[in-house]
Amino acid sequence: MKIDVKEYNDVTVLTVRGNLMGGPETLAVHEKVKELIDQKRLKIAIDLSSVKWMNSSGLGTMMGCMSSLKNAGGDLKLCGVTEKVKSLFMITKLITIFDTHDTPEDAVAAFSG
Amino acid sequence: MTRKTTSYRLKLPSRTDNLETVRKFVADLARKAGFGKEDIHKIELAVDEACTNVIEHAYENAEDQDIDIVVKLGPQKLTVIVTDRGKTFSPGDIETPDMEQYIAELRVGGLGIYLMRTLMDKVQYRSLPDGKNQVKMEKYLEKRS
Repeated sequence: MKIDVKEYNDVTVLTVRGNLMGGPETLAVHEKVKELIDQKRLKIAIDLSSVKWMNSSGLGTMMGCMSSLKNAGGDLKLCGVTEKVKSLFMITKLITIFDTHDTPEDAVAAFSG
Repeated sequence: MTRKTTSYRLKLPSRTDNLETVRKFVADLARKAGFGKEDIHKIELAVDEACTNVIEHAYENAEDQDIDIVVKLGPQKLTVIVTDRGKTFSPGDIETPDMEQYIAELRVGGLGIYLMRTLMDKVQYRSLPDGKNQVKMEKYLEKRS
């Protein structure tokens, strides 16, 4: 799994590639978010367009990222959620707490909206 | 004509990189059984969760153990049986989360069993007399999407 980091003014976009299904690789996403929080980067968008598969461990990681950011006074948005991953968010009803957008640009714009 | 039940088996080492093979195995059989796209995805996801539980909890991430998956295609249902030789697991000890509360509290983890129970029509756990653990999941064809 690979995580690319891009900054758009005060918004950081993390592009995650691979599968989010538990283990150290999935934890790396949460670690990266915590590292950004320490650097006072509190507006984060996670681009999931290159994530082919996610299971409950991956969902737990997304919840962890959201929780850490909310506790630090920040916010998380998701973008590029594929159909398979979206259905996972729908089944668990977690779709109601994640603000999702089609593209990273849309997610970045939503932070200033 | 009554279609008889046919069994298919896959045995793999307990590594998460094998889960893609497991998903493809069950998805192909679910398609063969006549399930629609949405139900195939639900079955794939439930079996992935069951195997992930085996890897993470029963085998505590040891990668050299066996996961045994049997899929039975019957006239009205698909049955998946996942068997392991790991640590005994008591699903009764794990509460099904109330999702409203789960979301309100921004909880992390504990969704695997909830997902399996939500995605399949029937989920049963049992400890076999020889010490193995087994989870049996069923999806009925008449309920297909």
